[in-house]
Amino acid sequence: MHKYLLAGCLSALALTPLAAAMTEQSALPPGEAKPAFMVPLAAKSLLTDVVEITNGQFAAVGDRGHILLSQDGTNWQQAQVPVQSLLTSVYFTDADYGWAVGHDATILHSQDGGKTWQIQQFLPETDKPLMDVYFFDRQRGMAVGAYGMFFTTNDGGNTWDKAFYLSLASVDDQEFLAELEETDPEGYLLERESVLPHFNRLIVAGQQILMVGEAGFVAISEDAGESWRRLEEFYNGSLFDIHRTQAGTLLVAGLRGNLFRSTDNGESWQDIALPVSATLNSIFEDDSGKLYLAGNAGALLLSEDDGLNFVDQSQADGRAVLNGLAIAEQVLLVTEAGVKLTTINKSE
Amino acid sequence: MSMNWLVNKFEYSLFRHRLVVLVLFAVATLVLLWRATDIKLDAAFSKNIPLKHEYMQTYLKHEQDFGGANNILIAMCDASGDIFNANFFDSLRRAHDDVVYTPGVERVLVKSLFSPSTRFIEVVEDGFAGGPVIPADFTPDAEGLARVKENAEKAGVIGRMVADDYSCAMITASLLEYDPETNLPLDTIAFAGKLENDIRAKYQTEQVSVHIIGFAKMVGDVAEGAKGVVAFFGVAIVITTFMVFLFCRSVMLTVLPIACSLIAVVWQMGLLTVLGFGIDPMSILVPFLVFAIGVSHGVQMINSTGKRVAAGMNAKTAAQASFRKLLIPGGVALLSDTVGFLTLLIIEIGVIRELAITASLGVAVIILTNLILLPVLMSFVRFSKAYQERVAKPNVAADKAWYALSAFATRRYAAVILACTALLFAYGYWQSQQLKIGDLHAGAPALHEDSRYNQDTFLITDRFAISVDYINVMVESIPSACTHHDIMDRIDQFQWLMENVPGVQSAVSLPSVSKVINAAYNEGNAKWRVLPRNAQSLVQASSRVETSTGLLNADCSVMPVMIFLEDHKAETIERVVAAAKQHGAELGDADTRFMLATGPAGVMAATNEAVSAAQQPMMWYVYAAVILLCLLSFRSVRATAAVIIPLYVVSVLATALMTKLQIGLTVSTLPVIALGVGIGVDYGIYILSTMSQQLRDGMPLRQAYFEALKERGSAVLFTGITLAIGVSTWVFSALKFQVDMGILLTFMFIVNMLGAIVVLPALAAFFWRKNN
Repeated sequence: MHKYLLAGCLSALALTPLAAAMTEQSALPPGEAKPAFMVPLAAKSLLTDVVEITNGQFAAVGDRGHILLSQDGTNWQQAQVPVQSLLTSVYFTDADYGWAVGHDATILHSQDGGKTWQIQQFLPETDKPLMDVYFFDRQRGMAVGAYGMFFTTNDGGNTWDKAFYLSLASVDDQEFLAELEETDPEGYLLERESVLPHFNRLIVAGQQILMVGEAGFVAISEDAGESWRRLEEFYNGSLFDIHRTQAGTLLVAGLRGNLFRSTDNGESWQDIALPVSATLNSIFEDDSGKLYLAGNAGALLLSEDDGLNFVDQSQADGRAVLNGLAIAEQVLLVTEAGVKLTTINKSE
Repeated sequence: MSMNWLVNKFEYSLFRHRLVVLVLFAVATLVLLWRATDIKLDAAFSKNIPLKHEYMQTYLKHEQDFGGANNILIAMCDASGDIFNANFFDSLRRAHDDVVYTPGVERVLVKSLFSPSTRFIEVVEDGFAGGPVIPADFTPDAEGLARVKENAEKAGVIGRMVADDYSCAMITASLLEYDPETNLPLDTIAFAGKLENDIRAKYQTEQVSVHIIGFAKMVGDVAEGAKGVVAFFGVAIVITTFMVFLFCRSVMLTVLPIACSLIAVVWQMGLLTVLGFGIDPMSILVPFLVFAIGVSHGVQMINSTGKRVAAGMNAKTAAQASFRKLLIPGGVALLSDTVGFLTLLIIEIGVIRELAITASLGVAVIILTNLILLPVLMSFVRFSKAYQERVAKPNVAADKAWYALSAFATRRYAAVILACTALLFAYGYWQSQQLKIGDLHAGAPALHEDSRYNQDTFLITDRFAISVDYINVMVESIPSACTHHDIMDRIDQFQWLMENVPGVQSAVSLPSVSKVINAAYNEGNAKWRVLPRNAQSLVQASSRVETSTGLLNADCSVMPVMIFLEDHKAETIERVVAAAKQHGAELGDADTRFMLATGPAGVMAATNEAVSAAQQPMMWYVYAAVILLCLLSFRSVRATAAVIIPLYVVSVLATALMTKLQIGLTVSTLPVIALGVGIGVDYGIYILSTMSQQLRDGMPLRQAYFEALKERGSAVLFTGITLAIGVSTWVFSALKFQVDMGILLTFMFIVNMLGAIVVLPALAAFFWRKNN
């Protein structure tokens, strides 16, 4: 798994004198929430997510606690945000109520359509990012993130409860944990903190909640998140997005241009060959059912046949595209260099 | 009076031993001429730096670890618009090697696609892959080139080592202060020649173009252009000689003052060599100034002698009388010039100090050559009867004109003149307040906009994300500071705030690179582009960055934030420096200090501040020197004021002209105003020195002024016009700097002359009320 490989890399790094000098202290510094700087280039900074709040109202989030609002996708105003953490996802239940999550397990809440934000959760000592947030209504929601972080709320986020679902661990790890719980309760609690993969995306499609993450992780909940079923591994790399098309097909996208398609609700997956090998960050769809894939190195692909074939429409600037929205004849992309509104030549 | 007694005594012995004097001068001239032939153009980078400035203290402190600010950028572009072909890569590789082995280059800091430190890292399913951008087994075929292109993109060197549109590649190098082979200071101009001959000439083909910028290259180009300056001196000397002949109608009287002024130049250059100085390309105009000031005094001398010969004296008596008459006013004028130029020594920038020495030395020797040698030489001239008669003939037309001019000394005209002067002064003062410090334009202001150097600058700024215009804020902190999230985070915040300052193109620092590496550790997912709070993860992210990147020192206690600017205009630099100071103060503490500044723009910031701080004191000192010497010689406050006020008005107007011409106040233009005072003071002193005695004796003012005009007015008028014509040819120079100086000096010659002839008598009309 990925974490073990990192350890290998680390030992290689320890050869450098710098690393040797640095291993002495490792206490986590206490962090205080500092308000984001209001700066002209916020809309050109790394942005990670964009949503349409209501008709023609957009919100984007990203680096350094940047939250931006726009009426037209071109002009963006920065909102006052009480943290500087990198935000990774934003979700609005209606025109007023919204939540944004990010690093330092931050959860922010707005009740005025994104103009002002309050901290609901800020845990810098965890040093872990939340990656996605979803709310069923103004009260019930959940936020997921790295190392299996999972928070739920039933009171609009006033209190967030930590959740742990053993079913989300791999079969091996489930056995290992069950054993550990018996023999070493303390060790068990510690292990729970890191045994789960990173959860990268959470979507709700009809009655189902679908979640993807690290190491080929895909899970489905049929009961609004009460219980989860982890799908059998069909790919061992990270997955970054999952999407159910208008036709009901499931698509998951991940590392190095890997795209898988399932027409039987995840029972079997078909590897879709793509003309690019960049990591894919996002799948989105327009009203007419055209599908877009967006990813690193400017990757942008378009399918007009429910995800069977994709045409390369990659952006020449090579900037990583983190997410996007199809609006009318254009796509609104959030990239590592900010917002980008661009027209796709669909006839190709 | 004791002064008179001294002058008499000096005059007596001087003219008694004329031959001895001549032999002494001849020997000195020969020796100094021999030394002067060794004079070298000399332009070290450090001379242009205000080493005492606080920014430069930071600069010197970190120069060892992070390199200096004396960099060169060499861009090689392929005519096809795409560098990925075998021929180009072959040229680039050989050029890279040539740059590495050019003496004076800091070898380990040469960077291009071919430098071993240019590496990439990428994420694959099972971890990391990485290596040099140009792999060891590189073959320049389609496959190999495609791989290099891919690696370059992964390494994030697009915009730095490869142009944004892939049409050019860059080699950057940092220069050493000393040549390691000879242990002598690096000869910047010779180095620039090597770049031209060994790099540009060698690799420039129809397919590949070479573009070189950086301080060394700029100075080399200025020095190249400065060679043309010699031709302009020639033209100015010819014009001056011709005009002097028109003025005095005597070959001997033409040759002598010109020859004596040239001897002054020879002495100056010889003495500079003896003292171990060279001539900076930016000071190349000083010898001409010495010549001009020499001519100005020489013409007074021949004018005075000629008039006496016409009055019936023999050559020796006439020369002797002129010597006695002019030694004091001429000496005072030249001494105040000398002292005035010496005051430039207070400015702690090497190149200005050298100018102070060059100019004051030159002016001081004029006292010897034109106030002593010239009259002695003239005493040998045999004036023909015809000459005597021609000069003796009363010149009715001229006298009429002088009489008309003398009306300036009447209250009626004087009031109008002074009112106009006051208006001009007010306008000039307002304009002069707008004078900008530093360079006002992109590129090198000493060179024309269409010069090769500036075109190369525009090309590089256009196609690359970097240029030579960057400022490094050095973050000095505790050892292993890069393992502390808090410190790294503050540096990161600082960088982001600076990136948001208008005029900043981009910025890079250890934290910003570490964030990208942290994302790379997390499968290249940009959502992990943060500084981990956990020290181990932070170490993991930062330790991949090598010290050769210039982003940290060995124990990461010093981490620069490199801020690339859109240009090096003074206002850009000022804005960035102000923001850096503000944010540095907010984010810094006793342990972590944001120190300004290194990098070429950091040096410019210090220079701009030093120049700005020096401007006022310099003017105070120059004027203090001139006022003191005027007071001593005239022993009259009124006379001193009558000389100084027009001079000051002209200084202000000259500054206003600089504003109008968009010439910024820089190391090279700062001394011009002081030099202008030196040029201008002569006129007023000559005019007033004849008047002041007569005024004291009770002669009516208009009468006294008329006499002064008759005696010296023609020489003043003539000198002003002649020198102005001489320098006005400089507008055709290949050096923008010389064009600017030509315009400024033409203005100062003419307007100072007008000040002495028009404003001075008008002031006198109000100062000497009793003499009306």
